[in-house]
Amino acid sequence: MNFMSRLLRQREYGLTAVILIIGASVAFIDTGFLAAGNLKDLIIRCAPTAIVACGVMLVVLTGEIDISVGSLMALLAALMGMMISETRMEISMWLGLPATLLLGTLVGAFTGALVTLGKVPSIIVTLGLLTALRGLTTLIMGGNNIDGLPDGLGQMTKYGVLGMPISVWTAIAVIIVTGVIITKTALGRRLFAVGSSRYSAKMVGLNETRLKLFAFAYTGFLTGLATVVDVPRLPKIEAGIGIGFELLVITCVVVGGVSISGGRGKLRGVLLAVLLMTMIRPALTFMDVGESGEKWTRAIQGMFILLAVITDSIVQRRRKRRLHDL
Amino acid sequence: MTTITLMKQKLLILTLTVAAILAGCSGDKEANPDPIQGRDNTAKTVTVALLPKIKGIAYFSSCAEGAREAADELGNIELIYDGPTDGDPKKQAEMIESWTVDGVDVIAVSPNAPDVVANAMREARAEGVQVITWDADAAADTRTFFVNQATAQSIGVGMVNAMVNDLGPDTEGDVVIVSSDATSANQNSWIEVMKPAIENSNLNLATIKYPGENASQALADSQDVIKKYPNLKGLFGISSVSFPGAAEAVEQTGHSGKILVTGLSTPNEMKKFVHSGTVRSVVLWNTVDLGYLTIFVAEALATGKLREGATTFTAGRLGEKVIAGDNVLLGDILVFTKDNIDNYDF
Repeated sequence: MNFMSRLLRQREYGLTAVILIIGASVAFIDTGFLAAGNLKDLIIRCAPTAIVACGVMLVVLTGEIDISVGSLMALLAALMGMMISETRMEISMWLGLPATLLLGTLVGAFTGALVTLGKVPSIIVTLGLLTALRGLTTLIMGGNNIDGLPDGLGQMTKYGVLGMPISVWTAIAVIIVTGVIITKTALGRRLFAVGSSRYSAKMVGLNETRLKLFAFAYTGFLTGLATVVDVPRLPKIEAGIGIGFELLVITCVVVGGVSISGGRGKLRGVLLAVLLMTMIRPALTFMDVGESGEKWTRAIQGMFILLAVITDSIVQRRRKRRLHDL
Repeated sequence: MTTITLMKQKLLILTLTVAAILAGCSGDKEANPDPIQGRDNTAKTVTVALLPKIKGIAYFSSCAEGAREAADELGNIELIYDGPTDGDPKKQAEMIESWTVDGVDVIAVSPNAPDVVANAMREARAEGVQVITWDADAAADTRTFFVNQATAQSIGVGMVNAMVNDLGPDTEGDVVIVSSDATSANQNSWIEVMKPAIENSNLNLATIKYPGENASQALADSQDVIKKYPNLKGLFGISSVSFPGAAEAVEQTGHSGKILVTGLSTPNEMKKFVHSGTVRSVVLWNTVDLGYLTIFVAEALATGKLREGATTFTAGRLGEKVIAGDNVLLGDILVFTKDNIDNYDF
């Protein structure tokens, strides 16, 4: 196997190389990019994306997709705000935050039920929810923003404990749990099995419905978790929270090397992709691309998505060819 | 298998495209002058129906205050101030219809959804009622004039002046504009005005960030420029999302009072940052004057003093106002500081 095909097959190597190249080039222009404070900010920004990507990765592994997490985050943020803000219902956050997680899990399970029991393609279901949940959020908030979250929650999410906001500690825990599920449990192996061949999975008696329901509910739960630990960091809760977040998460999952058709992918790759996608914007800031350069940031992010999808299809085609050759 | 995979990939690309479109969608209506004869009416009492987007919220209540002031001053005005309490545009349309039946002279609309009220506005005009818009505009063929509260010039220059004053005119250093999207028409028109104004000061515009209408991105971009430009003196947050985002970044990085933030906002949104000292000036148009000017325009239209094609208009204590096309420009801005911000509740 030559070097190029190894790079293509082992997405983590390619991603690590790109991250190092970008990091080194930007540091060459401005060493401030590698300053401790900036790296810390980078990790904090990765946290919510990494948390939700752990869930969406499982959904994609089973051969489904979820593009509604950004809108779900907005809805859960609105509900969380309505419950615990001192200007609203002012419920104790020790009740309001678990309730937010529960609501996230329920919406996730509902999505999964529509896909599995309702037999509607997940892309249609979650495309619908992307709009529906955002609409519901606007309705609930009625054009007013929510502030006045408990000070303690603000402190924990902005400054945190042991030098890091709680979102980072939460992300680490979620990554460990998801890693264990994927590599060490029967559940993980079954998720892969359903994604790589529904037919064979059925033949050996796997319950496809239950596995997919789990993946969607887990994604909903993690979206709730990301909302609780990251949203209070923002100056206020507004209906626009999480716009484009679903796109970012899916991008990370795909760029991270998880096969869109299911059955293949590594958590390491996804996490590296989260780091890569998160570092692009600050990298451009530190490179001082200037006023007109700023307008290109989205195009550059888009190029990474295209590159990843193209690589993925090349890998798939080679795989097929190799199978034919056998 | 291959076809299924390809289909899924196509679906994914489609999804990404749709998501991008959904995320980036925003439209601005271009107003075209529409030559319809203004009704010549020299009746003694002019009945004006002033329709806000939402009745009962402080922003519009302060506009209504100015409207009442103008009505008292003019003396020949019967002012009806009413609107839906929930902001339902269908109720706005119903109100326009019933006012048309009642035979009011002028209806001034702040449309919450221009398309929903457009037919009611056209019908009112067909019945001979003068229709104008204020605060927000609608399609050009639904109204004669738009009382435009915010000229790019006054807002852009207002923000730069506020920053220069807050920092002290002799302060030198970098400033950064945190905008919305690179395609946001309003923000871009302000930036065009701000650039030369900054150039004429001792400040240097280091860069412009476009985080979109995304609160966490606005926060992140502001944190980044604070680290990137050590000589940063000020941040302009020129959207409703980027203003609090920039202020939050300054506070979280511990630069409150050292790096000043200013921008355009309603006072309630920024009160906490004004009281913490991160923000010294919040720029907005004068809402009281907006209501005042709207009533003067309504009266002048109904009595035939103001006709289409006019280029200036004198409105009581506001003096002479410029009319650009079919936009009557309010022009003046209001600066909220810690001394006066608590007097406003919207």
